[in-house]
Amino acid sequence: MTSHAATAPAALPAETTTASAASKALTAGIAGIALTIVGYFVSGAQVAAMSWLVGVTYWTAMAIGFLLLVLIHHVVDASWSVVIRRQWEHGLASFKWLALLFLPLLISAWVKPGLVWPWMDLSHPIHGGTVGTDVLYAKKAGFLNLNMFTGMTVGFFGSWILLSYLLRKASFSQDNDGAAKWTFMNRRTSAVGVIVAALSLTFAAVYWVKSLEYHWFSTMYGVWFFANCMRGGLSLGIIIMVWLLHRGDYKGVYNTNHIHCISTLAFAFTVFWAYVTFSQYFLIWNANVPEETFWYNIREINADGSPNQWKYVGIIAILFGHFVVPFCLMLSYRFKTTPVIIRRIAVWILAVILIDMCYNILPALKLPNGDPQPFFSITLLWVLTSVVGVGGVCVWSYLKSFPTTKLIPIRDPRIVESLTHHE
Amino acid sequence: MAHAEHVTAAPAILQEVKPADVPRAELVEHNRSFTWITDKICGIIEDKTPAWWWVCFSVACLVACFTVGGIAYVVATGVGVWGHRSPVNWGWPIVNFVFWIGIGHAGTLISAILCILRQKWRTSINRSAEAMTIFAVVCAGIFPVFHVGRVWYAWYLFPLPNSNVIWQNFRSPLEWDVFAVSTYGTVSVLFWYVGMIPDLAVLRDRFYASGNRIRSFLYGLFAMGWRGSSRHWSNYEMAYMILAGVATPLVLSVHTIVSFDFAVSLIPGWHTTIFPPYFVAGAIFSGFGMVLTLLLPLRAIYKLEDLVTQYHIDCMCKITLATGTMVGYAYAMEFFIAWYGANPYEGFTFINRAFGPYAWAYWIMISCNVITPQFFWFKSVRNNTTFVWVLSLFVNLGMWFERFVIICTSLTRDFLPSSWGVLSPTVVDIFTFFGTFGVFSVLFLLFVRFLPLMAMAEIKAVTPQADPHAGHNILTDRAAAAGKH
Repeated sequence: MTSHAATAPAALPAETTTASAASKALTAGIAGIALTIVGYFVSGAQVAAMSWLVGVTYWTAMAIGFLLLVLIHHVVDASWSVVIRRQWEHGLASFKWLALLFLPLLISAWVKPGLVWPWMDLSHPIHGGTVGTDVLYAKKAGFLNLNMFTGMTVGFFGSWILLSYLLRKASFSQDNDGAAKWTFMNRRTSAVGVIVAALSLTFAAVYWVKSLEYHWFSTMYGVWFFANCMRGGLSLGIIIMVWLLHRGDYKGVYNTNHIHCISTLAFAFTVFWAYVTFSQYFLIWNANVPEETFWYNIREINADGSPNQWKYVGIIAILFGHFVVPFCLMLSYRFKTTPVIIRRIAVWILAVILIDMCYNILPALKLPNGDPQPFFSITLLWVLTSVVGVGGVCVWSYLKSFPTTKLIPIRDPRIVESLTHHE
Repeated sequence: MAHAEHVTAAPAILQEVKPADVPRAELVEHNRSFTWITDKICGIIEDKTPAWWWVCFSVACLVACFTVGGIAYVVATGVGVWGHRSPVNWGWPIVNFVFWIGIGHAGTLISAILCILRQKWRTSINRSAEAMTIFAVVCAGIFPVFHVGRVWYAWYLFPLPNSNVIWQNFRSPLEWDVFAVSTYGTVSVLFWYVGMIPDLAVLRDRFYASGNRIRSFLYGLFAMGWRGSSRHWSNYEMAYMILAGVATPLVLSVHTIVSFDFAVSLIPGWHTTIFPPYFVAGAIFSGFGMVLTLLLPLRAIYKLEDLVTQYHIDCMCKITLATGTMVGYAYAMEFFIAWYGANPYEGFTFINRAFGPYAWAYWIMISCNVITPQFFWFKSVRNNTTFVWVLSLFVNLGMWFERFVIICTSLTRDFLPSSWGVLSPTVVDIFTFFGTFGVFSVLFLLFVRFLPLMAMAEIKAVTPQADPHAGHNILTDRAAAAGKH
């Protein structure tokens, strides 16, 4: 038994395992995309496009979450997260594919304006008139126009891809030469990158999601999106850690304290998300100004005053599912440190983030009488196919990147601190 | 056996680990011993009171008289001697209240949140920051308490049964403030005191050894029989962590509720959803500004460079930079949404802030809170303690102006032009506020003189000699163990 110590088992399982998983993920992704195209013919272009927007926004939020985690890691010179950081870096490989997957929405905006974002079509009916005659639109037209939307979206993805490229290049290069300059380079990139990421994710949330109902406004919206990005990145990170632990890659590399730290961070951002979401809801509810409350009203009642499905989505999925359940579960140290349990909690959080995205996006889809489409409708099916489609491509890009580098940043200056991390 | 399993679990990748050389900064420089740390910190209390302390204390007392006199005058004559008039009925008192509460934020942040985040650098600064918190809360409390007019009725703030059957408006965030601030103050005092117990015991023992029985008795009284046994340490650590856990949501709730004082209203410039995190970020920003203002002179006077190292200053500057930038983000987002929301009143308010009669205050705020911290991007600036200290003064100034801008610009120009007005503080207003710096300084100077300025026990715990793994390396240990087997 002890003789095995000198000849420790190979760190990386065969690359073929990853390659096989990658091809499965890609197949799932292509199948999801194909099914969403079926949705285009079954339910129409608008439903398919809105579902696709949910899928792309959801996975982009995950990738932004990874980006933020890497940036914050470098900015604060963290040590415990070094052994996990490499997986976040692999996750950043998905940005260029997400940009590609966003392209259909951008093309649809040019080919058929107003399909997703009503303000793009000046003849779109709204409140008895049209967008073109809407005084509120006229005031925002300098910001809400197709050229700005296109340019900003290209800018968002461009900045995320550039930051990812710089962070990955420096980190991977350090594996080869062990030069300290890569660490300093990443710190500089991250210091600027945090500001770039904060602004880009804020305006991405405004353009892609908030402007679906362009009369509505809230200064908190960017912070809400940030909280979801962080929660998504952390939850996906936990799932990857547990997967690699069970596969054997991380055996002897990380210990209970690593998973405790990332779970505690996930707990903290659960509270932060609740704080932000509650503050937004409470201040709007309390002020009771029609210009603001209408956004919540259409998520509670139909035009005739009867409650709609979104009301129950808000109470059950958003209040309890998104906050109360993970909060209560993650109070437990045992739950936070037992890989199988924390993985389940992470999967739960990812599911409720998806519902949160649906809650913010899908009520913009209207029935002929003006009420929002219900949550449980065929749209939900196309949302799921979109999530699988975009997710399959993202997972594939992660798995393609995975075998190209070492499992952990072996030459990072804090790697020993990370390996010996204790509470 | 377990060790053997541990060894066999080591994967091959660990044999490739060879970290780049970027050493961490030491938290206690020059490899100072435990004895040196104890002597250094206890020496501040044990040595003869320095002349500078008497000078500062006298000046502080003199300045504090302005608050005492101002309050006495207000109580004797009524709050009409303050300058708040319709439409700015809150006037200076609320500005000053929020300013001091904000400063009171960083102490608990450093102690509780950084403790939970296991940031070891906090150990040199947490004690004085906690003291700052408590004294700032005292200063903050003066304004709302005396703003009630008849201060002897201040107990009406609490829901106590009374013969008039008058009950508080529980839907008002001002009432929530009463509970939030009083709870926060109580927990902050507890947290500060519990953390100090081992150090008070050290002072007790040292005064006993030097024959000063009175001081030994007094410190012993507050040390509550601390003997440093394992059980004592175990209970202490548990109590400290629980208090940190309780204080963390409290510290966030206090300034959130303070932000609700404004955000729940419909006043343009106040009703904005980002207010809660924006106020919290601003409070941390101003709190760190004040910590720098207080600690840098003390570091120089008592020659504490080995304990409050350049790394500590770097960290504080970077947090100031981060929170200042967050505040800048909030300013920008408010401005953007005021335009994007297309509400003419909101739009006017923000244009009025930047270009109206209080534009001077607005641009002081922007300069101090957004531009000033940007200097901290540069290492050369962070290394220049004098410059850092000057910048910290600007941070304090800017955060007072932030509250002034929020309150005055919105209230002086609300919906109806017929109700517009100006705020002109009276001499009583100005002197009362000015005096609170004296009150704060008196309390802080007493703290410096009579209580341990730094958490000795915690500082010792972050020295290399306290690390049980010091000199050990998982990789070499595993390799050695593997070779042995």
